[in-house]
Amino acid sequence: MPAATAADRAALERLARRDESALAELYDRHARLIYSLALRILRDQGDAEDVVQEVFAQVWDQAGRYDQARGNVAGWLVMLARSRAIDRLRRRQSRPETPNVEPDALEIPDATPLADDQLLASSRAVAVRAAMDGLPLLQRIAIELAFYEGLTHVEIAERLEQPLGTVKTRIRQGLLALRGRLTGAA
Amino acid sequence: MAATNHDAFVDAAALYAVGALPPEERAAFEAHARECAACTAEVGSLSSVARTLPLALPQIDPPFALRARVLAAARGTRAAHGQSMEQGAAEPPRWRRTIGWLSAAALLALAAAVSADAVATRQRLRNVEVRLQDALDRLGRSEARAAAASQESAGIQARLAVLIASDLTQVNLAGQPSAPAATGRAFLSRSRGLVFAASNLPALPAGRTYQLWYLTGGAPLSAGLFKPDASGRAVVTLDPPPPATTPSGLAVSIEPDGGVPAPTGAIYLAGQTH
Repeated sequence: MPAATAADRAALERLARRDESALAELYDRHARLIYSLALRILRDQGDAEDVVQEVFAQVWDQAGRYDQARGNVAGWLVMLARSRAIDRLRRRQSRPETPNVEPDALEIPDATPLADDQLLASSRAVAVRAAMDGLPLLQRIAIELAFYEGLTHVEIAERLEQPLGTVKTRIRQGLLALRGRLTGAA
Repeated sequence: MAATNHDAFVDAAALYAVGALPPEERAAFEAHARECAACTAEVGSLSSVARTLPLALPQIDPPFALRARVLAAARGTRAAHGQSMEQGAAEPPRWRRTIGWLSAAALLALAAAVSADAVATRQRLRNVEVRLQDALDRLGRSEARAAAASQESAGIQARLAVLIASDLTQVNLAGQPSAPAATGRAFLSRSRGLVFAASNLPALPAGRTYQLWYLTGGAPLSAGLFKPDASGRAVVTLDPPPPATTPSGLAVSIEPDGGVPAPTGAIYLAGQTH
């Protein structure tokens, strides 16, 4: 729904002018996705709620600084939430927090903002689920261990008892396959 | 410079997109990508894909009260911002402004006017009732969705619990003469269970099921039953072997529906643990 994306951008502009109703609007549209993601990573309702609250506090503070060329708002919220949830998970497991986990450390212009908008629309949920289900099991597991458990490729290789090169290749193949299925590219 | 070591970063854009690069490799890739338009474009595109992954999760509504907490927190910071940054726009809430200039007598008059306006009050009450009913309806739908989602999530978590177990081992199963094209892989955790995936399995005759067996020094032990889909694929999560046994391998046979205590049919897949 490109309409939701346009509405998101309008809401972000209102947010930069400290319009509180814009925050409520973004919350109503995206809190479910963000909460589900935080819950998946942290498996704890209280921690997941805290992450949602932190993300929207950050959005409230930084709406004016958000670069719209960088991709859509939902994607931005997803990366903020993942980053905060993984930080918490690492603290809980007493693993070293990776500095610089903040998304967009690299100034990544969004290569395909239009396709991205389409991908993030809620109507794509079914397509994403089907695309994930269609991946070979180890590609899928490796991607999930990285994205939801915050493991590095070295840790994934140890966990799955696979050679490092195999794990790297599987993650790449998996993401390329997902991209192909989601954009209809070959 | 960028072109010379580009080949070293073939997998890095994907790993960066899912957050799987250790810090030093991430820094190296970022340095390279700043100089390399191809890597910058690739990482942008793959990051877009990664950001859609959460759409595949069971979607669960956050608790009702969280919305109010989020908005109240923002309101709190706006009060602080308002004083320092928004000189012109900084205004106290309407009620405080009103009370500032209203005399006590005027307040009483206002109260009288409000209570006289009972028709409007009743109308507002009806509006509130309608909104409350709407909220309750939404809550009911959310609870139903959450129940379905947690069921789905329990299945996925059971599978994941096996796959991330520290004692995970993999057993590759090869197709036997009765089904040479069939292949299977088992991920076995002695502590948490077994995830078994197979493909190219022949379709089952009516009244038959595939049965997976733990091979031991003595009689094989049943690990569980499964049926493949129309394309001959199956993925199942099963219980771990009994604590006293150490499986030396796994095998799959076709048996009557409901399974049997010891294998009777032909073996379709078999593999050794290592």
